[in-house]
Amino acid sequence: MDENVIEVENLVKYFDGRCVLDGINLKVPRGCIYGLLGRNAAGKTTMIRILFGLEPSTRGWAFLLGTESSSLSRKVKGRIGYVAEGHNLIQNYKVGRLVKLCRDLSLQWNSEFFAHLIEMFHLPMDRRISQLSIGMRAQLNLSLALAIDPELLILDDPTLGMDTVARRQFLELAIDLIQQQDRTILFSSHILSDVERVADRIGILAGGKLVVDCALEELKNRIKKFRLIFPESAPEDLHLTEIINQQIQGREMVITVANWNQQKQAMLDTFKPSNSTEMPMSLEDIFIECTKPTTVTTAPQ
Amino acid sequence: MFTLIKREIEDHVAFFLGAAIATAILIVLLVSVIFSHDIPVHGIGLLIPGIVVVVIGLPAMGASQMYTDRTRRISAFLSGLPVTRSWILAARIITGILAILTVLLPLTITAGVLRSLLLPPIPIYPGLIVDMSVTAFLMAFACYCLGLQSGWTASRITPTLGALVLTCILVPLILVKGFGPHIKVILILFIIASLTCTWQKFRSAPL
Repeated sequence: MDENVIEVENLVKYFDGRCVLDGINLKVPRGCIYGLLGRNAAGKTTMIRILFGLEPSTRGWAFLLGTESSSLSRKVKGRIGYVAEGHNLIQNYKVGRLVKLCRDLSLQWNSEFFAHLIEMFHLPMDRRISQLSIGMRAQLNLSLALAIDPELLILDDPTLGMDTVARRQFLELAIDLIQQQDRTILFSSHILSDVERVADRIGILAGGKLVVDCALEELKNRIKKFRLIFPESAPEDLHLTEIINQQIQGREMVITVANWNQQKQAMLDTFKPSNSTEMPMSLEDIFIECTKPTTVTTAPQ
Repeated sequence: MFTLIKREIEDHVAFFLGAAIATAILIVLLVSVIFSHDIPVHGIGLLIPGIVVVVIGLPAMGASQMYTDRTRRISAFLSGLPVTRSWILAARIITGILAILTVLLPLTITAGVLRSLLLPPIPIYPGLIVDMSVTAFLMAFACYCLGLQSGWTASRITPTLGALVLTCILVPLILVKGFGPHIKVILILFIIASLTCTWQKFRSAPL
């Protein structure tokens, strides 16, 4: 349990009879930056909320720093920084009052670092939270989460509403933080280029399941996309397993396959394509391929 | 805990101001009752603001604490800090108790002082003031607990009306049972049931 800062075992969550999380298993080792991806309503926020004990699970277990999520003690919470989706800060408070409240309730507070963050983000201490822009709220929330020197940082779409410069600052902060010993970050985001820049492990939620959970480099090696040109019309079935996507148009076939290996390459070679080109895939391409329904389409010639 | 209580007081300072004003009015009325020749008539004048505080003020405070928490997602934010739900609710309840004491303590002290200064025309039971204060505290706290319970419910009208009806039933119990041990037991049981229900709801609710 100590090696893994986050552990999720067979986590199931139903909302009004609809299955949002369907038997999720996840382990995040210490010192890892874990990027949790998924389309809207895929269950990312629900999973993070269950992890932090804000939402009860229907079945299964979630552990943070070795403690069951639904019974996190003050001491354990004091080691975790959390930025919620939508940055639900207390709207009618002034920034200064909210900061004081957080400082008084925290077990440890790095005033110097917090002052540096406030200065960097140009956050006004005398303005009400409701008068701040979404981006400023995000920056304030992030600063509050970082000021406690967290051992584990959980960020639910933290860069939502931030401009490009602020996002870049955030990413640099995240990298700085991880360079400190034993820090772990779990974050979900829709901006895949951000995730690709900082994450060293990726999880993709689709249809209530964690369809991908591996290192970023491994993911890029495992999923391959080819454009194949056949001498005559393209065969409808290549007898390959784990086809994520396949499109046929006359002699041309574009195919995406998971867990690419030599056996699959050999099987493909038996169809003797006259041209085979591997198409480079970014994380965004992989994400789109993994989250859209598996399709095999044949277009008229 | 002190920070959480301080936050609750600052956020609901209007109720404390209201409590202070009500206390001042009640003390003035109490003194005028003692010095008047027509105690029953003036006594009713004392009873009305007292009932208003207990029936409307305290449930409103409890409901307001829970309702603003839900709408402003205060507990959701606080739960992101090193604070447990038990602490949040405990701080809230302690704030409610402080509001009740803001009204009751000065009243009890005034009544005690007046009793020692002016000998009553007929001998009275020496523990009467303490008995009355304890019962009034339990009654006020029971009404406050009802407010807490109704404030955390998503639908607004039914629980609010229900709480109001229950409060209206609770308060006249004093007229039926007096200030003796029976009413104290009833009120303590009611408070335990109400707080347990609120605790269960608050603990298991998604924030």
